Amino acid sequence: MAADHLDRTYHYILSTFVERGQAPHFTEIAAKFGIPVEEGKRRLHELMAARLPNWLFPDTDLIASFAPFNNLPTQYRISVQGEQRWFAQCGLESLATTWMFPGKRVTVNAPCLDCGEPLCVDILDGEIKQADPGDIHFYVDLPIKKWYGNLPFA
Amino acid sequence: MNLFRSKEHVKQWSQFKPGTEAGILTLADAMRVMSTPRHRNRLRPDYVSKLPETVPAFVQRLLEVSGNSPFWDLRPD
Repeated sequence: MAADHLDRTYHYILSTFVERGQAPHFTEIAAKFGIPVEEGKRRLHELMAARLPNWLFPDTDLIASFAPFNNLPTQYRISVQGEQRWFAQCGLESLATTWMFPGKRVTVNAPCLDCGEPLCVDILDGEIKQADPGDIHFYVDLPIKKWYGNLPFA
Repeated sequence: MNLFRSKEHVKQWSQFKPGTEAGILTLADAMRVMSTPRHRNRLRPDYVSKLPETVPAFVQRLLEVSGNSPFWDLRPD
């Protein structure tokens, strides 16, 4: 696939997530670019094979995850200006959702996996405005070089 | 890749793996990791084609945040 097609497909999928909180179907990719449906599916699969932190639900043509968002609900609920419509791919990517909504307050709500009690982070343009509790930490048990080989379980 | 209420909660989590303490970051450091062009520029129309250009700053940020920990070193061996 030409680099331009990868760019355009990627941008359309991510922009659709931002707009409606869900990924588009490949038929919508086809409609967006005025191409046959099968070509839309091909572009989706080629983009998903490009070693980005994105993946399809196994044995389907459905987007499961597209960083920083997730198309299946996760425990990382994302609200923008108080409206909860998005889910983040993981705890780390939940912080990166701030870059999807410039100038807007993004709130991450999630349970602590150890105790189930809530945690909440407010971010504006990459700046943490508030964290509750104040000592929130991130944890991953795999060295970063092994992440891609272990998606989506890293 | 999860968030916890504190470092103590990470360490007492049932799935915490001893020996992986380097995988624990403060919230502020985790935000720094996700604040280089690799993550900031995702909405740019040319993001995929420009992605290789974002690698050096991301690698540098990971090393800064982790104190040059091999756990966070993306450079080839």
